[in-house]
Amino acid sequence: MMSITQAAIQVTSDGPGMHIPDGFVSAPVAAAGWVAMVGILAVAVRVTNRELNEKAVPLMGVMAAFIFAAQMMNFPVAGGTSGHMLGGALAAILLGPWAAMIVMTAVVGFKSVLFQDGGIAALGLNVLNMGMLTALVGYASYRTAEPLLRGNRTALLASVSVAAWISVEVAAVSTSLQLAVSGSSPLDVVLPAMVGVHALIGVGEGLITAAALGFIMTTRADLLPQRRPASSSTGRG
Amino acid sequence: MTAFAAVVERYAARESVLHRADARAKVPAVFLTVLAVTSTREGDWLALALLVIPVVVGAYASKLGPWFVLRRTFLALPFVLAVLPLAFTRPGETVLTLPVVGWTASDDGLTAVATILARSWIAVAITALLVSTTTVVEILRALRTFRVPRLLVATIFFAYRYFFVIGEEAVRMLRARDSRSASIPGHRAGGTLRWRARVAGYMVGSLFVRSLDRSERVYAAMQARGYAGEPQFLDHAPLPVRQGVGAALVVAYAVAVQVGTRLA
Repeated sequence: MMSITQAAIQVTSDGPGMHIPDGFVSAPVAAAGWVAMVGILAVAVRVTNRELNEKAVPLMGVMAAFIFAAQMMNFPVAGGTSGHMLGGALAAILLGPWAAMIVMTAVVGFKSVLFQDGGIAALGLNVLNMGMLTALVGYASYRTAEPLLRGNRTALLASVSVAAWISVEVAAVSTSLQLAVSGSSPLDVVLPAMVGVHALIGVGEGLITAAALGFIMTTRADLLPQRRPASSSTGRG
Repeated sequence: MTAFAAVVERYAARESVLHRADARAKVPAVFLTVLAVTSTREGDWLALALLVIPVVVGAYASKLGPWFVLRRTFLALPFVLAVLPLAFTRPGETVLTLPVVGWTASDDGLTAVATILARSWIAVAITALLVSTTTVVEILRALRTFRVPRLLVATIFFAYRYFFVIGEEAVRMLRARDSRSASIPGHRAGGTLRWRARVAGYMVGSLFVRSLDRSERVYAAMQARGYAGEPQFLDHAPLPVRQGVGAALVVAYAVAVQVGTRLA
């Protein structure tokens, strides 16, 4: 029991500086983040409700718990550090981008309120960076590559891994821009630092995401959105 | 609820004025006060000092004490690294030079760093007070009364409930990996980085399959119990006027500090 709590608190620091705390971004930037998050979330909720009805609730909730637990699945890298994933791209590939955004919003909001990992005023930006951008970018890069590969499994998994890497980098760039616009961190310092650190974190993200998808393709391909009938495009009953 | 909830919410189960206060008053008060705190101008020490007062009052009113609040707020510390460069890049009068590297810190830069850290600390302390005096279920119920979409609130509610179950599953898988990964001290163990990442990825994939299966069982059980799209609560008491006024006073104080220090 304690071990879960400890593991959960450990994963709350996924790399330096992804979850922006309150006070680091200026009030207008934080407010813009909230407006953007609420707008995108409204669309996501409408689309997901239409596709899944009340079935969506247990599926999304358990999936949010899954992403949270999946972030505990670390692997040793070198010198006592360990890699793990954020999960935005994986969630988007498995559940579709809209459902993934709801799931990731729940995960990021949960961490912010329970563990003070990321601020409340800055929650809009954090959800935007880590939940929405990673899901959208990961999904878009994956769907762009997928038809070009004609079912070549290795190439598909390689493209998934690149898609996951790009999603982390985009989130890092976006976080740096928000800090720079707020005047909290000079762009020429924060951008290279964030992009550099997350280039490494992104490799872990890419490798785990591809391996997880490969595992599901081998064992339960029926669970993947592309293989399912169109009527339940985002989840199985 | 679950044992996990008992650990996370161990302070929310205590007794004090703040614990008794309705989440429908506390949640908007905390959100708006944090917004007011974030809009503090650089170098406005008076405003920052005045905004610490509600934190201190809250720490005593919750009977958790200032030490508890201080401990809770250290979680956000690593982010300090992100603002420190500002001290050296912001132009201004040089007040100190780092020995070896020779970087110079400007007075404006140090002011900016101190303000950002102070704002952040106050905001984190206020949030910590909310979570330490309110159960998650109460916070989510409050979100529903403020028209946060049902799907989102229910998702967070279920995530909170099932995180314990899925998290246990994850811990069991990690333990299984540890017990099959024997190694001799001093010798390099385990395959390449790619191989290790693949093992973790397979565990994530396996966890996904198990989680999806579980969500189906949960859904079937919910249907069997007549779930109609929203959790049902037994009490529907309206928000006591006194608590609404109390929350409004806290927000008004924070706004007055900001307006007052700008005018003065």
